[in-house]
Amino acid sequence: MQLHAVDYLILGLYFAFVIGIGWLLKRRITTSSDFLTSSRSVPLWITSLAFVATNLGAQELVGMCASGAKYGIMTSHFYWVGAIPAMLFVGLFMMPFYYGSRARSVPEYLKLRFDEKTRAFNAFSFAAMTIFSSGISMYALGLLFQLVLGWSFTASVLLSALIVLVYTFLGGLTSAIYNEVLQFFLIVFGFAPLAWFAVQRAGGWQNMAARLPEVMTHSWKYTGDASANPMGIEVFGLVMGLGFVLSFGYWCTNYLVVQRAMAADSMTAARLTPIVGAFPKMLIPFIVIVPGLAAMALQNMNLGYSLPVKGNSYDYDQTIMTLMAQFYPNGMLGVGLTALMASFMSGMAGNVTAFNTVWTYDIYQSYIRRDAPDSHYLWVGRMTTIVGTILSIGAAYLATLYNNLMDLLQLVFSFVNAPLFATFLLGMFWKRATGHGAFTGLVAGTLAAALTHGLTLAEGKGAWIGNLHEFESVMAQNFWIAIFAWTTCFVVTILVSLFTEPRPVEELRGLVYGVTPIPHERHLPWYKRPGFVSLVAAVSCILLNVIFW
Amino acid sequence: MWDLRTPSGLLFTIYGVLLVISGLLWPEARAPLAEHNVNLYSGVAFLIFGVTLLWLARRAA
Repeated sequence: MQLHAVDYLILGLYFAFVIGIGWLLKRRITTSSDFLTSSRSVPLWITSLAFVATNLGAQELVGMCASGAKYGIMTSHFYWVGAIPAMLFVGLFMMPFYYGSRARSVPEYLKLRFDEKTRAFNAFSFAAMTIFSSGISMYALGLLFQLVLGWSFTASVLLSALIVLVYTFLGGLTSAIYNEVLQFFLIVFGFAPLAWFAVQRAGGWQNMAARLPEVMTHSWKYTGDASANPMGIEVFGLVMGLGFVLSFGYWCTNYLVVQRAMAADSMTAARLTPIVGAFPKMLIPFIVIVPGLAAMALQNMNLGYSLPVKGNSYDYDQTIMTLMAQFYPNGMLGVGLTALMASFMSGMAGNVTAFNTVWTYDIYQSYIRRDAPDSHYLWVGRMTTIVGTILSIGAAYLATLYNNLMDLLQLVFSFVNAPLFATFLLGMFWKRATGHGAFTGLVAGTLAAALTHGLTLAEGKGAWIGNLHEFESVMAQNFWIAIFAWTTCFVVTILVSLFTEPRPVEELRGLVYGVTPIPHERHLPWYKRPGFVSLVAAVSCILLNVIFW
Repeated sequence: MWDLRTPSGLLFTIYGVLLVISGLLWPEARAPLAEHNVNLYSGVAFLIFGVTLLWLARRAA
């Protein structure tokens, strides 16, 4: 792939604009809360697009296109089952407690609702997770650019990290969020033409589908039996594991996304953030999964295009780049690369800003220095941006040296995350749930996840204790690990809570259902109410599932 | 407070102009599988989006 001056000009303009936006926002930062939480001042259309964009990292784009080429339309489950219902739920039912409480972050909510140890458990694991995930995505980006463009790994890692550092250092969370919206536009306009021209070349939708195995063009039809579809999953594991436990755990409790909604300028805007975001979210499969399908069809057309090969199988992760090389001339090629860079930055900035807030408020202010003037915490927040970026770069290099270590860490994080939603569900909707109950439940759920992994086998992975069951795929195994972890956490939290002292109800005001004022939206016109907008989103999502069943 | 639509609209308008010019000056510069002038068509879409954002920001101000 050969870049020309126009491509470099396009990439350079993008860098100038993101830094410029950070620079323009610098004047707005006077307190630590401006820097770390945007002081609840961001308008709805911006928070809702940022909510979607922060999850749309480069790994997601590359991975979803790869999955589209490998599994087909079934990949859409990660959106229509694995995201939309949870996004509507967090907006409708959970945001009143996050936004309505005095909490500045998700771990802080746990502190207010339960106790210090539950917050510490969440804050430390979350902080470590954000560093490693931004490091891993930096590593993936560096490798991709090295492979396709021949750029030096070090140069692409350092340059992209430096730009994210500059604009988050200047404008804090607001700058990250504003840039995520610009990045979102670039991702859509950079990849939509690829989907469009690739499907046209494959003969339009009908002809393209005819060139693919039927199992690739249906999302539900072959999920009755795990051995009947290439993902190796069945409908119960899919709906409960992905659709309920994993997706609600991510969209409802992960501070990375919840932080965007908590920056909104009113309670209604905070609730509407994930709900309005659900509309672009449910359309993203058409620009990230469809190119993968088209690539598979084009390969069957004897046009001289074939997916790159690695070892004795396809290297699906290169699908999106090879397609760009086949369809984009210099000019659009620059835009495509800029879009990829933009998606990487939105993912990384999301991690960096979430890490900043959790480190400064939940770790530094709670355990290291409690009663300093606010200007001190603003300074700490700024320094944390630098330290967090350096640690992420370190994690990227660690990944180049010890690939297995990274896999292991991601596995451990998935164990910690799996039970989280049970804790929040009980915390928000059951006054009787206690701090001891929540903490024991989380630990037990994490252990249950590890135990399930140790006792089951999938594609040669797991079963380090013994082999009680073999799954059709690692994906199915992950779904079931999540189901066991969630159930264990749910049951243990209830049992321990019943035997421990509950907090007095007055202390739970604003934190738990029943003692929190329900936000009333009667002053709003009906089409602006969260309930109505959610209903439209839910119906649209069901329609998409029916069309592509 | 400035409007985010202004810088976004500006960037998309500049990209649109660059792409349309590339598409008009080098119409034969096509990637292997492309059957259309990808730069020109995409450039027009970028330009429309960029100008719309600028117009919306101006109207709101």
